[in-house]
Amino acid sequence: MHKIMFVLLCLLSGCAAQHNNIKLANQLQQEPPEKILSILSEKEPDQSDFAQYYLNLGYLQLLSGEFELSIDSLLKAKNEMLSLQATSISENVAAGTVNETFRRYSGYPTDRVMVHNMLALSYLFNNGIDDARVEMLQADVEMKKLAQSDSLNGQLASTHLLSAIIYELLDERSNAFISYQLAEKILKERNISLPRGLKLGLLRMSDKMGNDTQYQYYSKQYPVLSKLKQVRQKKHQVFGLYFDGVVSNKVQQSLAVPSFNGKQIVRVSMPAYTSVQHRDQHNQINDNEQKINSEVVENVDKLVREDLDKEYPSILLLTTTRAIAKYQLVKEAQDKDPILGILANLATIFSEVADLRSWNMLPATIQFSYLETDADHIVVSTNHQGDSVVELAALKQHVILSTGLSDKVFHYEQ
Amino acid sequence: MKIQSSFWLAIVASVILSACSTSVERLDAQQQIDLSGAWNDTDSQLVAREMIEDSLSRAWISKFVKSEGKDPAVIVGRVKNLSHEHINTNTFIANMERELINSGEVQFVASSANRQEIRDERADQDLNASEATRKEMGQEYGADFMMQGQINTIIDVDGSTQVRFYQVNLELISIKDNRKVWIGEKKIKKLVKNSKLRG
Repeated sequence: MHKIMFVLLCLLSGCAAQHNNIKLANQLQQEPPEKILSILSEKEPDQSDFAQYYLNLGYLQLLSGEFELSIDSLLKAKNEMLSLQATSISENVAAGTVNETFRRYSGYPTDRVMVHNMLALSYLFNNGIDDARVEMLQADVEMKKLAQSDSLNGQLASTHLLSAIIYELLDERSNAFISYQLAEKILKERNISLPRGLKLGLLRMSDKMGNDTQYQYYSKQYPVLSKLKQVRQKKHQVFGLYFDGVVSNKVQQSLAVPSFNGKQIVRVSMPAYTSVQHRDQHNQINDNEQKINSEVVENVDKLVREDLDKEYPSILLLTTTRAIAKYQLVKEAQDKDPILGILANLATIFSEVADLRSWNMLPATIQFSYLETDADHIVVSTNHQGDSVVELAALKQHVILSTGLSDKVFHYEQ
Repeated sequence: MKIQSSFWLAIVASVILSACSTSVERLDAQQQIDLSGAWNDTDSQLVAREMIEDSLSRAWISKFVKSEGKDPAVIVGRVKNLSHEHINTNTFIANMERELINSGEVQFVASSANRQEIRDERADQDLNASEATRKEMGQEYGADFMMQGQINTIIDVDGSTQVRFYQVNLELISIKDNRKVWIGEKKIKKLVKNSKLRG
């Protein structure tokens, strides 16, 4: 009896933590990241949710401009995910007999690559471009580990694009060109139209490298942009990144049915994403002469669904195994004592919860824009947050990060 | 019965608590320990020692002593981290500086950050120190050569197995005329196998 109560209490506390986390992610759509960050910072992560907690915390710290703290949190999450890549027998046994939340959160393929993006941005805005470069190299290794011939799972165009920007800032032309090409390849395979800034990047880098064959190829592909590129080089290069919205949360889908002999209730729970039609908002960079809208380079909402789809067969297998194990447990308890059987059945019903954990505060989409200008300032506009003026000073290259969740605009220049 | 159950409870609690406690063991700084396979203090010390030994055994040093009649003055510049890891190149630079100074074959000049601090001190002495103890400006020892370099990696991954290849390149450049008088290269290759199971 005591043991059953203890297990139920543990489960309820875990359930409450997940419920709070989902509530906070939903709140992020309406309230500024700083407020959500202050609420999340006060909570202590469960050991099993350690990586998920620090992924969300680090992302909120990035959006709040607390770059050093963000680096610290995201590194904790990254190292935890790395250490959990090996399989744990005890966690699998618990997941196969009680529920999947007993497994420590090791991150989905998107998390494992995206963490490098967020770390690179944190380092960059903290004036650590060399460390940002390290993160991009690590992301490349991670994507190679996850690569499969028949799937794009774990392959992020935004990561290659960010790598290209960082290489371009470091004047590593061939690396930048290859990264722009890799981003192009993924976007084409995902049937996402190529952002104007990416096309310009391919033209610019092939030209700077002196790779005439590739330059001619891309000039034919994008003749209008090619002519635009041939106009006098302007004073400033502005790379704009925009995080739009918040990614979807998982929901629990449960089914409770009487067993074939009617002696117990069998309940199964699976995680799922509801079909939400996300309406993309875009931001605009304006220098009084040109108005450049951001374009989607990563549909994160789609990526997390792909991650779950890929996991689905193993989740289904484990759920079925668990249902059989629980059925046997209740049957044995019933054979000993009918009251004990009822209690055991209740425990198996309440303990059957789906694993709803995910990096659920990520943006729904990541967008990109590129501008060359002689102006000494630009205006960054988003639908929700109004206009922000960014001074470009005398330095040549600028990376601007803005989000639809707050009016903060982060600026790196060199 | 109550005493017996309390006894077992104490045993179980002590076992659990001992599993949770932190243990610290002091180690020899020269001891080679590889935990993750990443660049570590052993690599840093090993590469610095071998590369400086190599640089000091080459002909440029005797040629310089013969032509100038003095030991060359060397400064260590920037070592760029172009690897896949967040490597603190300052410790690597410090290891190289130590090897260079302890060799006794070259003069060693402080880095630009150190120099600035010393210049600030001299400027302060100019105002506040007595004439007998004051150090004059314009008496610095100019370096003849600067050592620069980079750390590169190539990582090949297959599942839980990785081959990590580190290549450290250093160059000694004559400050007077930009001639490269020595180029050194050190390679380290590590095979890292991560366990597929954990506790």
